[in-house]
Amino acid sequence: MSLSSDEETLKSWVALHSDKMYSWVFYKTGDKESSEDLVQDTFLSAFKSIRKFEGKSEPKTWLFAILNNKIAEHFRKIYRSPVLTTKMGDYSEKTMNTFFTKDEGWLKEEIPRNWPDEEIHLLDDSAFKSILENCMKNLPAKWHAALQLKYLEEKKGDIICQELEITASNFWQILHRAKLQLRKCLDINRFRK
Amino acid sequence: MLMLSCKKATSLIEKKSLIGLSFKEKTQLKIHNRMCVVCLYYEKQSLIIDDLLHELISSSESAPLIKNEALKEKIIKNLH
Repeated sequence: MSLSSDEETLKSWVALHSDKMYSWVFYKTGDKESSEDLVQDTFLSAFKSIRKFEGKSEPKTWLFAILNNKIAEHFRKIYRSPVLTTKMGDYSEKTMNTFFTKDEGWLKEEIPRNWPDEEIHLLDDSAFKSILENCMKNLPAKWHAALQLKYLEEKKGDIICQELEITASNFWQILHRAKLQLRKCLDINRFRK
Repeated sequence: MLMLSCKKATSLIEKKSLIGLSFKEKTQLKIHNRMCVVCLYYEKQSLIIDDLLHELISSSESAPLIKNEALKEKIIKNLH
């Protein structure tokens, strides 16, 4: 039985792009199983709509577009997860109290100090990035998901919130906590050594 | 116009990054940061982090390459 040309095409795309796609998802989720599922689902979707792909863009671009949609959906599910939401409600307030006083000023030990310009310019970007990567891994799942959703597709904030079915204020409050935590983590690991 | 608290100022910095600020909020934040060098530092650092996050999260070049042959076989096997 000979393969149809659609199957041939898809097989070649798998050979060419699957590793990069898998690496990309795994980098974001840190989870082998869900990463494999997302890549597999992407190729299945691509196969189903392969007739619609008219070669107007590169196959890799097209595949990554499908993949990124599925990644966004994955993180939306995490963000909306009721289990995490319940936990996060308490954790969120707790976080604000670890940075600010009742009068909403900075707690003395949390006051951001300046990052010297000379240091920032001399910074080896990849060193900074790898510290940030580790800081991100330590965030609560819901906050990490919020960051992924914000930066993944360069969508406008209000569209992201519509897709999540939450208010913008709800979303930026989570981002606020994540940013406070990340800044502190970076500060400790990069500038206070 | 009441002065913003530092907590509120840092929250507006995040709002600005997500959906932008109203004219009033922009002004309030500017005034606060002129008087509060700490929040000025925070804003500067927050923007640096935004740029880095953007690179890490939207650019597939950040991800270390992992080979997964078993996955490829599984995908092809399950195409039908």
